[in-house]
Amino acid sequence: MASRATHMHSGDAVQQPGGERPSRRRRITPARVGLFGLLGTATLIAMFPIIWLLSGSLQTAEELYSGETFFPEAPQWTNYVTGWVDGNLAVYLGNSLFYTLTSVALILAVASLAGYALARIEFSGKAFFTLLILAVMVIPAPAMFITQYKLLLSFGLTDSRLGYIFILVTAGIPMSTLIMRSFFVSLSPELEEAAAIDGASALRTFVSVILPLARPGLAAVAVIQGLQVWNEYLMALVLFDSDSLMPVQRGLMSFVSVETPQQQVLLAATAISIVPVVIFYLLAQKHIIQGLGAGGLK
Amino acid sequence: MTTQLRHTRVGTSAVPRRRIRAKHRKNLIGWLFLLPAVALIATFTIVPFFQAILLSFQSWDGISPDIPFVGFENYDRVLQDEIFWASMRNVLAFGLIGFVVGNSVALVMALAVTRVKRGQAFFRTAFYLPGVFSVVVVGTMFLWIFQPRVGILNTLLGAVGLENLQQNWLGDPSTALLSVAATFVWYHWGFAFILFLAGLQDIPRELYEAASLDGARSWAKFRYVTWPQLAPVTSIVSVLTLLAALQIFGTVQVLTYGGPGYNTMVPTLHIYIEAFTNNRYGTAAAMSVLFGGALVVLALVQLAVAGRRLRR
Repeated sequence: MASRATHMHSGDAVQQPGGERPSRRRRITPARVGLFGLLGTATLIAMFPIIWLLSGSLQTAEELYSGETFFPEAPQWTNYVTGWVDGNLAVYLGNSLFYTLTSVALILAVASLAGYALARIEFSGKAFFTLLILAVMVIPAPAMFITQYKLLLSFGLTDSRLGYIFILVTAGIPMSTLIMRSFFVSLSPELEEAAAIDGASALRTFVSVILPLARPGLAAVAVIQGLQVWNEYLMALVLFDSDSLMPVQRGLMSFVSVETPQQQVLLAATAISIVPVVIFYLLAQKHIIQGLGAGGLK
Repeated sequence: MTTQLRHTRVGTSAVPRRRIRAKHRKNLIGWLFLLPAVALIATFTIVPFFQAILLSFQSWDGISPDIPFVGFENYDRVLQDEIFWASMRNVLAFGLIGFVVGNSVALVMALAVTRVKRGQAFFRTAFYLPGVFSVVVVGTMFLWIFQPRVGILNTLLGAVGLENLQQNWLGDPSTALLSVAATFVWYHWGFAFILFLAGLQDIPRELYEAASLDGARSWAKFRYVTWPQLAPVTSIVSVLTLLAALQIFGTVQVLTYGGPGYNTMVPTLHIYIEAFTNNRYGTAAAMSVLFGGALVVLALVQLAVAGRRLRR
């Protein structure tokens, strides 16, 4: 512990001659003050817009437009009620939850099958399909969202739940497949051999032997894609006209442009919309951070 | 299955025949496992990709069943479109600011967090938190912060006697681009931070110990151990940040809608407006091809870099 400190914290852990009894507490040095000043400032900047949103969402219109209130005199919880009702949030949040759960389930199923094939099955065309999946990853949304819309229009799937889910799932497959592939590659081949001796089919082996072992990979894919899907905006904007089908991001914009709510109500509605994602983040952050690493660095 | 079996008749001796049959079975299983993924990708990614190239040579208003070919007319229009070029310049500015400022902040904070023993998890949670919000949420927050009359930014500047720095941040051509860029940096630096932090934690401790024995001080350790060891992560983070900045859409759409004038217009928003507001889908597709092509080249560079790293 101590040796690591000396190496990692050059300067600040150097023992000064004389002075106080040796203690477990760290010495306060200018370098250390600077370090914590920097970290504190960054934390403040990262958190401030969120705190400011929450503060504003609890104010009266008068307090809000005085521009000087931080702690509202009496928290206006009614803003949240108005935001929830006028903002149609029950519908939008329900839709978002539906899109997220459905798309993530489908992405997990499709990507783990494909990832397993690419990792563990010898078949002709494997190199081609691996390259194909890498290649579609480089096609960015701006290059095709117009023609994705045109395609769905020709299927009669614009302004439809099914059409949106097709787009969400397809967008998630390439990276998820590659993440799953790298997990399957690391598993021992003896597992399949044992299952093959027992006479299990490939699908059976996959479902009952391989998938349970791939749980960390599945979790990483699920949380990363869950966030992606929940926050998707461009295609929701392009595809939806009906309020009853919109996910919450699209719904909030519809709320702003159609109802022109009062600012404090809009802030309250926005604050409600981030509750699910913040809870999810706090619960699943270990997986999220691992998943970011897996997606970004592999 | 029957065709597979018929094929195997070609084999003469029993052993190769069984082997060939096993090979066919393996092929079939592999293809079946891949089928859902490939079918979805082919339908909803590859078809639209080629349709975009096709549509860029056609004229379509979004409704009419009649989609005539117009040759290079759309490309002519795009090349003469001042707004398109303005949007390309703007997005390049976002890319550079996101790249330089965002990545520098991320690296400095990652270095700072590795130096504390307690609270690493707290800082990591706090710094990535902005990254889990949607563009709509981020846009709403910052519209309110930048609000010219009662926004907290101007209020704070007034409170510390810097009234002359107060601005109509998003409405003034001289500050709008920087304000949107600042929002982008706030939103995205946490991602680079997480990757840098993971990269720093992967650097073997012995390297620092050896450097210490050689009498290296902080800067020398950074220069000769951290920086070269972190290089692969740095290159990947750089390209990912750049790609994210270049595809910026929602943040701009919510904050400024490309305004004032075209001072914050970006290609994706311009493509969106050209198609869904101006009903010129052909021109929009031509822009998609030009802009998307540029992004593809950049992403290929990333793949090349990642590939080189894997081969090491």
